[in-house]
Amino acid sequence: MYPQVIFQNRKPNRIATIDEYRQSGGYQALTMALQKYSPKEVQQAVVDANLQGRGGAGFPAGLKWKSVADDAPFPRYLITNIDEMEPGTFKDRIMAHADPHMIIEGTILAGYVVSAEKGIIFVRPSYESSALILEREIRIAQEAGYLGQNIMGSNFSFDLIVHRSGGRYICGEGTAQINAIMGMRAHPKQPPPRSTEKGLWDQPTVLNNIETLVNVPHIVRHGAEWFKGLAKTKASSGTKLYCVSGKVNRPGCYELPMGTPLREIIEEHAGGLLPGSEFKACLPGGASTCFLGKEDYDVEMDFEGLKKCRNRLGTGAVIVFDQKTCLVGATLNLIDFFVRESCGFCTPCREGLPFIRDLLWRIEHGEGEEEFIPILHRMCAHMWKSYCAFAPGASMPVTSLLDHFPEEVHEHISQKKCPFKS
Amino acid sequence: MPKLKIDGLEIEVERGTKVIEAAARLGIIIPRFCFHPGLGPVGACRVCAVKFEEGPVKGVQMSCMTDAQDGMVVSTTDEEAADFRKHVIEWLMMNHPHDCPVCDEGGHCLLQDLTVAGGHGIRRYLGKKRTYNDQYLGVFVQHEMNRCIQCWRCRRFYQEFAGYRDLGALQIAHHTYFGRATDGQLESPFSGNIIDICPTGVYTDKPSRFTGRRWDFERGPSLCIHCSLGCHIITSARYREMTRLEARFSESVNGYFICDRGRYGFYYTNHPERPRRARIRTEEVSLDQAIQTAAQKIIQINQKNGPKAIACLGSARSCVENQAMLIRFCRVQGWNEPTYFETPTMAKKVKRAVARLDEQLAVSMREIEKADFILAVGADPVNEAPMLALAMRQAFRNEATIVVIDPRPVFLPFEFEHLPVAPDDLEPCLTALIKGAVHRSAAEKMGEEALRFYDTAPAEYPDAPIKNRMVKITQKLRQSRYPVIICGTSIVRETTPDVAADSALLLRAARGRAGLFYLMSEANTFGAALLSSEEGSVMDVVESIEKGSVKGLMLVESDPFRSFPDYERLKQAVDKLDLFLVMDYLPSFAARLAHLFFPTQTLFEMETSFVNQEGRVQFATSAYRGGIPISQISAGGHPLRVFRRDIPGGESQPAWQILAKLANIISLPGREMFSLSKNELWSWIAKEYPIFANVPIADELPDDVRVHLAQGREKLFPSGGQIRSGGLSRENSTLELVMGDWTFGTEELSTYSKYLQQVEKEPCLFMSPKDASMLGLKDRERITLPLDKGRLEMELRIVDTMAPGVIVMPKHRQLAWQKIEKWPVKVAMGQIRK
Repeated sequence: MYPQVIFQNRKPNRIATIDEYRQSGGYQALTMALQKYSPKEVQQAVVDANLQGRGGAGFPAGLKWKSVADDAPFPRYLITNIDEMEPGTFKDRIMAHADPHMIIEGTILAGYVVSAEKGIIFVRPSYESSALILEREIRIAQEAGYLGQNIMGSNFSFDLIVHRSGGRYICGEGTAQINAIMGMRAHPKQPPPRSTEKGLWDQPTVLNNIETLVNVPHIVRHGAEWFKGLAKTKASSGTKLYCVSGKVNRPGCYELPMGTPLREIIEEHAGGLLPGSEFKACLPGGASTCFLGKEDYDVEMDFEGLKKCRNRLGTGAVIVFDQKTCLVGATLNLIDFFVRESCGFCTPCREGLPFIRDLLWRIEHGEGEEEFIPILHRMCAHMWKSYCAFAPGASMPVTSLLDHFPEEVHEHISQKKCPFKS
Repeated sequence: MPKLKIDGLEIEVERGTKVIEAAARLGIIIPRFCFHPGLGPVGACRVCAVKFEEGPVKGVQMSCMTDAQDGMVVSTTDEEAADFRKHVIEWLMMNHPHDCPVCDEGGHCLLQDLTVAGGHGIRRYLGKKRTYNDQYLGVFVQHEMNRCIQCWRCRRFYQEFAGYRDLGALQIAHHTYFGRATDGQLESPFSGNIIDICPTGVYTDKPSRFTGRRWDFERGPSLCIHCSLGCHIITSARYREMTRLEARFSESVNGYFICDRGRYGFYYTNHPERPRRARIRTEEVSLDQAIQTAAQKIIQINQKNGPKAIACLGSARSCVENQAMLIRFCRVQGWNEPTYFETPTMAKKVKRAVARLDEQLAVSMREIEKADFILAVGADPVNEAPMLALAMRQAFRNEATIVVIDPRPVFLPFEFEHLPVAPDDLEPCLTALIKGAVHRSAAEKMGEEALRFYDTAPAEYPDAPIKNRMVKITQKLRQSRYPVIICGTSIVRETTPDVAADSALLLRAARGRAGLFYLMSEANTFGAALLSSEEGSVMDVVESIEKGSVKGLMLVESDPFRSFPDYERLKQAVDKLDLFLVMDYLPSFAARLAHLFFPTQTLFEMETSFVNQEGRVQFATSAYRGGIPISQISAGGHPLRVFRRDIPGGESQPAWQILAKLANIISLPGREMFSLSKNELWSWIAKEYPIFANVPIADELPDDVRVHLAQGREKLFPSGGQIRSGGLSRENSTLELVMGDWTFGTEELSTYSKYLQQVEKEPCLFMSPKDASMLGLKDRERITLPLDKGRLEMELRIVDTMAPGVIVMPKHRQLAWQKIEKWPVKVAMGQIRK
């Protein structure tokens, strides 16, 4: 059993209360920060701790905060991203249902670092229960004096609200999320300007994933070195919530040291594959990552480790496929999702993905032709020239299917049917 | 300035220039769908991808999203980039219906061009096409969503550029839909622009649908004359019929866009009742015969009653050539000079504005977009000159503060500060703002007159709520780096154009830079004010007829029955005349009463010029040769195969040529003979009016020739000591009637357009909630309004965005409001009844 940091107060059947959170050291970090540390010092601690953004890209949180200029105008905003819609990912929901005050404290601390006066927790509509919990607990935190004017006698004031999303995958993208909050279409927006210069209502805005922020109180309390020591690998730090789903005995969300090998996650923590099943492949970090085959079964599950095998950690959501699962069918299912969730702004994503889906559908349904394969390769490569990272992400399972499982694809075409279907 | 290389050619461009624009300057047109120079880059369509081989940016990138930088080496022909562009077009064509044969865009379609240019010829996509339901978008725009390639131009123009919300993007992903929440007439008066900018046939011009391909039309550059701004347009004509107007780019005036009044107002030129034959009373005669008859009558009257017995009315919708020739005609004959304005007040206001507009203060519409503070006095842009509202919105988008001082319920498609004060309070309200923002020392430096103006102008506005709002506004004005004053000439007092100019001078002294922009009533009001030397008005002419000193009246493209405030009086005067001669192209009321009628040519049939409200002399070429539209004489059948030498209905001539011919007959021997050459007329203009001397009358269409009266001749700050804060002691028992405009339904020429008639609002009277509650009147009630010469019935609209103490009545084609003896009109409150 590894040390549980984020899940330290997780109960099998209920939500941790503010008192339970405080007993475990909750809100001590905020008290310390407001009394002893300047925003810069808290920021430096997070930079030193090498806290990599947990939303998928792994960009260091401390550096993101640093990009808010000292003389940036006010008001500034902080957004906590709980628009969790990556297929196979459910850690945010579990965090909100386990220990909501950890989210609140992390958000307040981040707000303190960037001198924000308002925080917004952006919650997807399917997570209505999380929104209700957070709203209730925010009120409790307000009554306890952790939110509002001059928090705990300091000159830092911070308000926090819950914003319910209209609900779309693209709302998880930071700039699209900011547009959505403003009541506009959830389209991503390329810099310049960066959101940290001109974001929500054209004011400096920092947007972090909730799993990133819950680590901040612990870094403040225990220090950067402690945080780094939690990880299994040198390049990474802290723990990671791995969501395991698919053909395993114990699917679920596990807090493990960052860099825990894939084999260990699946075989020890998730209880191995189902009886009669063999590991064929997995998606290591949600739908917008590459299929990872048996040859990389021992990969260390951190940002660096997956980069080495030309894959991505993404959200750390491991979706496990066995030898009886058709990967063409699985890819078609993923592409269906991406086709539906495209915001429709740029051409490759809006029109190119449906083209790719059509070709995959034909292959899966026995109408495939060998000439489809170079078309798929070409189009997937061109997805990288679209406006945001959505279409490149969507192309990753397709490209990796063609690269790692070409025989399976050819079999579909030559047999004029899906070999996994009788 | 960054220097870069595109396809081996070197070019240096200003910082901030996008690579796609830099390439265009080299003659390399990189494909584009979403990029539009008027809307800027957005990076949605991805068809402008090029390869960046060297420099700060590497790889295949969008040329519309990338600033040109030093050391860039760009290839537009790179294999990977070209292949990607080809894919983009293939993706866009997956769902396109390929209905080019029945699509009005066919032949000038960007999608068609790029599909061919990109080399996408063979369909590889085997799936079904996505289809949409189309919507009814009103009388101007035909919707065909299946053709859409989701370039976002329409939505970006409609919502971001123009500020209206009823058309936009719905749905997501490959179902993204551009339209309205429900079917219905588009609300924006700029809606036609989405037809121009749509790169394919989603929005096509409804009135001209199926009338021809681009190459079938006679097309040429022209001018819009439906307000005083003079926007640039392109005409299309076919089968002796004007079919369509589009916006023409103008660097200084309208940019890339025009309003719907301009786009759909031209139908007067094809009007089925347009008089196309000369007439003696009701009998149609040849033009020559009518000229001969007119000459005889004129000679008779001149011999009997002297040269001053014939008066002439010109109009501000007439071109420079017609206005000038009419003046020349009168001068040679020894007649009184023609009159261009309805009332002496209007004449004075316009003349003062023209006199005060100088080269340094005058700003163009495009310069207004760059202002950071706009102060509009007595102006209702959306209704009076719609494109001005669009220019102001661009300033708003650049974070300008915009303030409108006007009693009327002014709407603008953006946030602005509206100070609704009574007409008498416009000037004190303006000077209070100026004094709040300009220190006395600035006036002191400008001399005694300026100081007197400054010291005597009211410093405070006594009405508390408005005064409080003015505090914040003056703070902004004090920080402004480029304030612009817009001054209307319709509802303001005689002195207001001067006060506006003097205010602009003070602002310039205080802020270093300031602009002045007058709004005028018609396309050539400025020209009329420059050319006419007298301040006479229709009112004076009517008086002379009543007194018996004027026996003959000649109207040149003028319909005083439309604009003269007292219809009954004018009608009685006209009935008294021995000779009533009308030249026009409109089936106007005056034309029907004419003893002698001469058909003249419209703007679209002649080479002509107009001076816009900024003093910009602009030229238009003829679109076609005139004549009755073939559709009107062939009853929809196959074009007639009748061979004749003349053009049916083509007798109309430019009014100035008719005048020249008439003059040459009646002139006594030895007097100057008029030539029918336009160049000769222009050399006369240049000789008589030296400010026109530098105007080129060559074939080119200059965009930057302004004529302003000589500097230093005008007395500055003439209104010093005269600005009353008079309106503030308002009588409570009367309401002042203020006339307004509608975007559609007021401007003379466009009221003849059958399409604009369909989008007119109902005539109504606006009242403030305070006055309405005192009278016990409710919104949308029918009321009757007593005027000097009878009552008017209409609907009451109660709006809280207007000044109390006034009632506002927009002039409307359907409203016989001409029952007024003299301005200003005060209506006793108790007299307004249900």
